[in-house]
Amino acid sequence: MDFKEFKKEAEKEASLINSLSDLEKWRVKYLGRKSALSLFFHSLSQSSLQGKKRQGQEANKLREALSDLYNRKKDEIEKKLSIADKNFNFLDITQPGKKQVSGHLHPLTLVTREIVAAFEKMGFSIVEGSEIETEYYNFDALNMPSDHPAREMWDTLWLRSSHKVSIAPPAPRSPTLHSYGDGALWRAGNCQLPNSKLLLRTHTSPMQIRYMEKHQPPFRIIVPGRCFRYEATDASHEVQFHQIEGLMVGENITLSNFKAVIEEVIKDIFKQRVLVRFRPSYFPFVSPGVEVDIKIEPKACPERSRGIKSRAVAIDMERRRCSVAIAMEHRRQKSKVKDEWLEIMGAGMVHPALFKRVGYENNRWQGFAFGLGIERFAMIKYKINDIRLFFNSDIRFLEQF
Amino acid sequence: MKVSYEWLKNLLKSFQKGPDELASLLTMYLAETTVKTLGKRPVLDVELLSNQVSWASGHLSLSREISACLGKKFNFLKPILKEDSKILAKNFLSLEIQTSNCKYYSARVIKGVKVKESPKWLKDRLNDCGIQSINNLVDAANYVMLETGQPLHVFDFDALNPKQKLKKTIIVRQAKDKEKINTLDGKRYSLIKEMMVIADNNQPIALAGIKGGQETGVSKKTKNIILESANFKGSNIRLTSKALGLITDASWRFEHNLSFELTQYALERLAELIQQIAGGNILKGKIEKIQDISGWEKEKKEIPVKWGNWEKFLGWPIPKKKIKQNLSLLGFSFKEREKYLLIKPPMFRNDLEIKEDVMGEIARLEGMNNIPFILPQESLTLPQRNEFWIFREKIKDWLKDYKLEEVYNYSFVSEKDKNILPLEWQQKMIEIENPTSSLTKYLRPTLLVNFLKNVYDNFRFSEKIRFFEIGNIYSTKNESFVFGGVLAQKDISGDNSLFYQAKGIIENLFENFGVDSDDYEFKSLNKTEFSKLLAKGAAIFNGKNLIGVLGKPQKTLLENYNTEGEIIFWEIQLTSLFNLINEEREFRPLPKYPSVIRDISLLIPQNILIDVILTAIQAASPLLLEEVDLFDIYTGENLPQENKSLSFHLTFRANDHTLKNVEVDEEMEKIYKALKNIGAKIR
Repeated sequence: MDFKEFKKEAEKEASLINSLSDLEKWRVKYLGRKSALSLFFHSLSQSSLQGKKRQGQEANKLREALSDLYNRKKDEIEKKLSIADKNFNFLDITQPGKKQVSGHLHPLTLVTREIVAAFEKMGFSIVEGSEIETEYYNFDALNMPSDHPAREMWDTLWLRSSHKVSIAPPAPRSPTLHSYGDGALWRAGNCQLPNSKLLLRTHTSPMQIRYMEKHQPPFRIIVPGRCFRYEATDASHEVQFHQIEGLMVGENITLSNFKAVIEEVIKDIFKQRVLVRFRPSYFPFVSPGVEVDIKIEPKACPERSRGIKSRAVAIDMERRRCSVAIAMEHRRQKSKVKDEWLEIMGAGMVHPALFKRVGYENNRWQGFAFGLGIERFAMIKYKINDIRLFFNSDIRFLEQF
Repeated sequence: MKVSYEWLKNLLKSFQKGPDELASLLTMYLAETTVKTLGKRPVLDVELLSNQVSWASGHLSLSREISACLGKKFNFLKPILKEDSKILAKNFLSLEIQTSNCKYYSARVIKGVKVKESPKWLKDRLNDCGIQSINNLVDAANYVMLETGQPLHVFDFDALNPKQKLKKTIIVRQAKDKEKINTLDGKRYSLIKEMMVIADNNQPIALAGIKGGQETGVSKKTKNIILESANFKGSNIRLTSKALGLITDASWRFEHNLSFELTQYALERLAELIQQIAGGNILKGKIEKIQDISGWEKEKKEIPVKWGNWEKFLGWPIPKKKIKQNLSLLGFSFKEREKYLLIKPPMFRNDLEIKEDVMGEIARLEGMNNIPFILPQESLTLPQRNEFWIFREKIKDWLKDYKLEEVYNYSFVSEKDKNILPLEWQQKMIEIENPTSSLTKYLRPTLLVNFLKNVYDNFRFSEKIRFFEIGNIYSTKNESFVFGGVLAQKDISGDNSLFYQAKGIIENLFENFGVDSDDYEFKSLNKTEFSKLLAKGAAIFNGKNLIGVLGKPQKTLLENYNTEGEIIFWEIQLTSLFNLINEEREFRPLPKYPSVIRDISLLIPQNILIDVILTAIQAASPLLLEEVDLFDIYTGENLPQENKSLSFHLTFRANDHTLKNVEVDEEMEKIYKALKNIGAKIR
């Protein structure tokens, strides 16, 4: 047996050991009953006396050296562990945790989800329509023939007339899905109906007609989606925006029912801290028309700005002081927020002409329809003051939600 | 619309409310109203709804509404004229209507008026409403318009075609192309045949329903006048007003199709007022022509409403007495029958056609805000699941967990963006006929363009960008939902790690949705339209269907959008993906026998695809090899050129016994051999 080589190897291995369990493995390997060294001692019994004495001494020295090494190593590791343990006892629970990153959903997605969830609780199903529409569905079928003055309320972006676009339901396959198409696609130009000129829908209301053409009441649906207006862009106007349309039709759905359903849903979305008010309005496809306004109760805005909250986990104290300053500034600004009513929804009782147009039995059905702007909800909820922020995709904005 | 508080107060007699109170009353019962100017003469701004303009744009009608809200009935006074007993107006004026855009025209002739300044009370009221005082005749016409809502005009009798000395002619007709008119404000317009004018038998004397002509306007010398009160087709007035960019108090009202009743009432009221403030002799009789008989009759139609309708539609019981009381407050008249009411709309109102309109009016008077809260008594049905919606929302949640930010970009791209795209792409883009600016001229054919702008914009704030979007893209064939993303970093890593990250995201997502890995494959981009957009990358196919792409955008694109660094983009058709998902999972029994793991490292020329290597390994040990996991890829230093080093964990398992080392050794031998056959060196 080459004692030198054996020692060298053992020392090399020991130098890499950091844990008690590894050290134990090392001990078994070099000092254990089945180790080369033990086997050697065992074999000594068969050696000559001379050899026994010389080799035995050497082997004993080796065993002592290795035992020493073992003990030193053990001390060393235990000491390390106890320091680590001590350090653990110095746990500073006020030190910010290590930041775990995740991406963020767009505020419009978040708000849409809340609104949709509230209506789903009331039994409304989600249906979708297409963004490219025909003039017929966007206007004529909604009681707005081409010379109707109310068309002025919906400044329209028209598609170049040479285009022929299939208007198909967005959802494929499943027959249980709510969608209006049976594969019958609309094409401008070769379509039989008048006013098949194509446009970008100015509201989600065309789905009232498309849905009713394919479904018999009773039903309750909501239609979320993107809409477009010919509009000069500024802090409160955009060429594109998002709406949720709603339609509930049955034999006995009344104006009072409308009020109750909407009030419940809005209170759910704004977590009760909201006042709702109803006043007269006008849309050609309802009668009577109603406008819904809300007022966030001034006392009840403790919802903390999420931007501030995330800043509060800033690592160094300097930053923390900053965040406190920002929070105070924010509170100051909030107290200035004017106590005013905000328009959030246009609505009314479905005009009987629509029921007639889709072929429903005369005088049998009645119900309500409404349309709300998702951006408006989001701006109120998150106190966003410029609608353009939603579509500018600025990472500093997106990360706040 | 500006409304004089003093005027309303005067009309309403014992009215006690202050301007603020009045504004909030109108807001809740009619239309949104704010107090514009305070001080001695407060002015209200009433934003009439589009169906209200035709009947509520005058102080009289507003007073009727306010009275009704306060529980009092408002009565319109009947104008009282002193007509000349002998001299007939028709001997001085004849009327011809040559266009169907004029539904009704009426006129009166007054001789010997005196033009002077208006009385103060009248000037003050005009001023409240934002109209400048000119002289008593013009002011009277404006005043009666503000009072009733009917626009009116006064012509200087003698200024009409001077060749006709005694008897003048008024012709309502369409303009001739390029015909000119000088208007009262000193402007000159060139007309087209779609526009309607009032003319004498020589030239146009007014832009019908919009503005009077200069030559026939009232001047200091005016002695004899013609009063016009007409009813024009709203759509034609709107067309002219829009085409000339000329919106006036008159055109705004006419656009909304006024009632015939109002036209008649206002003419008499104007004659009365002029006589009162300018004197003159009103010639006997009015000159009038009705062109639209059916419209006339429609206004007089009665609407039957059954007693049972009220509660069924509105939702709460209203006593019969209350219904009748409210109807008369609003100015309705009605005949009572046993089972229903036969209801005639209030004076000047032509916007009420069906029973729902009438019931709505009663709800409005009760106060929309006072409607009782009653939840529907519908059967309890579960909303239908919209699987496509749920699917998209799930994608969003997962991508968020993969540390991506969700964006909502514009559906539009600009003219400039279009020109940057390859011709094949340009050809299928949808163009907007009336864009708001060059920025909204086209609909996006892919999410890529706006993503590149996002990268450029955000590189100012961030070294790394990870964005995704779910939205529509548009082509001349259709619009379709896609799910796209972009990964970008300023630093150039020199390897393809971003590409593999993106690929990993897509593969994980597919796996999460239970898409069978046999259902899709990554293939060359070459034959797809995306080869023009992406310099390198992969197309994702389901059989022969292209369902998506991922890769690095063409250099020319990156240069055009000033984006440096590395960028990987992907876009996947959501309907295609949706058709492949399979979320039904089935439990696989846990293995009974342990597995054996062996590692293997090999050196292989770079151009041998991983796919080929994996196939070779799997084919060599078809039964016992359970899983192959590529855990390390290395290229670069210390390797022979054009070679890569790959390391795999190989997991072996038999389902009926514990594997012995010898068995695994045998499998490994087979694998070594297979790998050597494709040019690998085992390390």
